[in-house]
Amino acid sequence: MDARIRIRNTKSIVFKSVVVFLAFMITIPLIVILVYIIKQGVMQVNWHFLTNVPAPVGEPGGGISNALVGSIIIVAMSSMIAIPIGMLAGIYLSENPGTRLAHYSGLCVDILQGVPSIVVGIVVYFWVVKPLGTFSAISGSIALAMMMMPIVIRSTEQTLKLLPDTLKEAALSLGVPYHRVILKVIIPCGFSGILSGIMLSVARIVGETAPLLFTAFGNPYLSTSITKPMQSLPLLIFNYATSPYDDWHNLAWGASFMLLMFVLILNISTKLVTRKWNIQL
Amino acid sequence: MEHSVVSATKFNAWFGDNHAVKDVSIRIDKNQVIAVMGPSGCGKTTFLRCINRMHELIPGTRTEGSLKLYDDEIYTMNPIYVRYKIGMVFQRPNPFPNLSIYDNVIAGYKLNGLKMTKADMNAIVEKSLTSAALWNEVKDSLHKKGTFLSGGQQQRLCIARAIAMEPEVILFDEPTSALDPISTSSIETLFHELKANYTLIIVTHNMQQAARVSDKTAFFYLGELVEFDNTKQMFTAPKDVRTQNYITGRFS
Amino acid sequence: MTPLENEIGALKKELINMWMLVQSQLDNAKKAMVQFDKDLAREVLVKEKRVNSFELKIDRDCENIFALYCPVAVDLRFLLAALKINTNLERIGDIAAGVAKYVIESSVNFDEIVLENISLLRMYDEAVNILTDTRIAFEKEDTVLARSIFKRDDILDAINVSAPNAITELIKKDLSSMPEALYMLSIFRKLERVGDQSKNIAEEIIFYVEAKILKHFESSRRKEDEG
Repeated sequence: MDARIRIRNTKSIVFKSVVVFLAFMITIPLIVILVYIIKQGVMQVNWHFLTNVPAPVGEPGGGISNALVGSIIIVAMSSMIAIPIGMLAGIYLSENPGTRLAHYSGLCVDILQGVPSIVVGIVVYFWVVKPLGTFSAISGSIALAMMMMPIVIRSTEQTLKLLPDTLKEAALSLGVPYHRVILKVIIPCGFSGILSGIMLSVARIVGETAPLLFTAFGNPYLSTSITKPMQSLPLLIFNYATSPYDDWHNLAWGASFMLLMFVLILNISTKLVTRKWNIQL
Repeated sequence: MEHSVVSATKFNAWFGDNHAVKDVSIRIDKNQVIAVMGPSGCGKTTFLRCINRMHELIPGTRTEGSLKLYDDEIYTMNPIYVRYKIGMVFQRPNPFPNLSIYDNVIAGYKLNGLKMTKADMNAIVEKSLTSAALWNEVKDSLHKKGTFLSGGQQQRLCIARAIAMEPEVILFDEPTSALDPISTSSIETLFHELKANYTLIIVTHNMQQAARVSDKTAFFYLGELVEFDNTKQMFTAPKDVRTQNYITGRFS
Repeated sequence: MTPLENEIGALKKELINMWMLVQSQLDNAKKAMVQFDKDLAREVLVKEKRVNSFELKIDRDCENIFALYCPVAVDLRFLLAALKINTNLERIGDIAAGVAKYVIESSVNFDEIVLENISLLRMYDEAVNILTDTRIAFEKEDTVLARSIFKRDDILDAINVSAPNAITELIKKDLSSMPEALYMLSIFRKLERVGDQSKNIAEEIIFYVEAKILKHFESSRRKEDEG
C-alpha cells in the first residue's frame, strides 16, 4: 500500500514539474527573439536613422523615415475604415443575437478572420489596384482594414454582451431613446473592452506584410500621397533583409527593432488601459 | 368621482403565443400605494411593464385593450413621454456605473439631452436625493461614482433617479428582493413618505411586505386579476377562495 | 416611528380612552347610587353603548394589526394583552351599567349612612381606585404598581366575604328594607368582580411588559415572584 502511494506521489510531482518546465519553455522563443533583435537593431536607431530615407545602393547611412511615416499613414487609414464599421457591426450583433442576419454575418466574420493575409492582398489587388491602375496606400489600408475588422467586431460584440441587460433597462425606463442608450450608456460602459479590442487589432496588422505586397507595394521615397505606392516597415524589412547589401541589412534590423518595440508598447498599453478604464459593473 | 391615475379596461398582453395578461380591468387612484402580488408566472410583472411600455421592447410581444394614464391612452401616446410620466425601479439596483452619483440622479435629463442651468440641476439633485432619504449620506460625495454605496443606498439612488423626472406614477418591480432586511425596511418607510407626492405600484413576491406597505392590493393568478381590494380587507377576509389560498400559503 | 409603532400607539390611546370612559361609568353609577339620581343612572346606561362600540373597534384594530404587520416579541405580547384587557374593561362597563340599572329599578333610595356602615362605599371607592391604578400602570408600563393590585383585590375579597353577614343584620333590623338590601348584596358581588377583572388586567400588563405569566398561579407563587 505504501509503495503504491509513493509511486502516485512521484507521478504527481513529475507531472507538475513537466507542466512548470513547459511553461518556462514558452517564454524562451520570445526572449530569444527580443534579445537577438534588440542586439542587432538598437545600435541602428538614432536621429539620422529616423529622419532620412534609405540611401541609394552603395551609399552608407540612410534611414527608414519613409517606412515609419508610411506605416503610420496606412495603419491610421485602416483604423478609420475598420473601427467605425467594426464597432457598428459589433453593436448590431450584440443587440440582435437571434436574427438570421446576425447568424450569417457572424459566420462571415469568423471565416474572414481565417482568410490567409496574402489572399486578402490578392483580392484587394484585383478590386482596387487594377481599377485604379496603380499601387496605392489606400489599397493597402483597405486590405489591412479587412483583417482588422473581425477582431474589432468580435471584441465589441463580446464586451457589450457582458454588460447586464439591467443597464439598458434603466436607461430605457427614463425615456431615453434607443440610439442614445447605445451611444451614451452602453458604449461608455463597455469602453475599456472596446478600446482594448481596437488596440489589439492595430497590433495585429501593424506588422502584416503579405497584404501590402501587391497593394501598397513600397516606395523608396517619403510619400504622403494615398493614391501612390507607399513604404511601410514590414515591406522594408522584407525587401531589404533579403537584399545582398549590408547597409540595407542594417536598415532592416533597425526597422525590425522599431516594429517590435511598437507592437510591445501597444500590447502593454492595452493591458494598462484596460485596467485603468475598466468600469466596475 | 375620484379621477383614476392609471386605469385598465379589458387589457391583454401576449409573449408570442403565451397569453400572459388576460382581460385585466383595474382603477388605481392618486397618491396611493398599490401592491400587486401573485405566484410566479401570474402576469403581475408583465402587467407592470405594460404600464410604462417596457413590455413592447421584447420582440414578439403584443397588447390589446385600454390602458390609460388619466384620460390618455398609454398605447397611443409617445412612449418616451409615457416613460417620463411613469418611472420605474427595478429588482436589482442598477445605477449607471460610469456616472457619478450627481450624474446618476439627473441621468434622465442628461441622457436625453435636455438642457438645464447648473442651479436647476443642483436643485433637482438635492430635492430628489432628499425625497429618497439619501441626501445626508451622499451630499459630500456627489461627484464620486456610486460603487461604494450599499445595496439599499444604491436602490435609493435609483429611486432618486426616477423621482428626478417628476413622474406621476412610480412602478416598482420587486424592489427589495435583492436587499437585506434593514435596507428593505428603510425602503418600505420611504414608500410611506413617497405616496404624498406620487402614486406607487409595487410588484412583490413578499406578502408580508404587501400587507405592511400598501393601501390596496391586487392579486393576480394565471394572468387574471382575481381580487383588488383594500389591503386590510384582503388580509383579514379576502373575498375569493384563490386569494385566501395564496395568502395562507396553501399554494405557492 | 414605523407604521407598526404608530398603529400600536394609536391602539394604546384607544384603550386608555375606553378605560377613562369605564372609570367615569363606574364613578357615575356610584354617584347615582348614593344620590339616588335616576337621570344620572340612565345616562350611564346610554353610555354603555359607547363602551361596547369601543370594544368592537379595539378588537377590529387588533385583528388588522395582526393581519398586516405579523408582530412579534413585545408587540405580539402587547396585542394579546390588549385583546384581553379590552374584554375585561367591557365587563367592568357592564358592571357599572348593572349598578345603574338597580338604581333605576329600585323604588326606595339607598341610605348613605347605611351604605357607609356596611363598608359598601369603602369597597366601591377602593374598586374605582384599583381601576384607576391599573390604567396608570398600563400607561406607564409600571409593573410594580400592577403587582400592588393583587393585595388590594384581597381587601375587596375580604369585604365581600363579610357582606352576607352585614346584609343579614340589616334585614334583621328592618324587614321592609329587604329589596334594597338584596340589591346591595348584588352590588357587593359586582364590586368583587370589578376587583377580579382589574387583577386580570394587572396580570396581562405584567405579561406584556415582562413576558411573565402570572395567571392561574397560587398566591404563594405570586409572593415568590414578588420576593
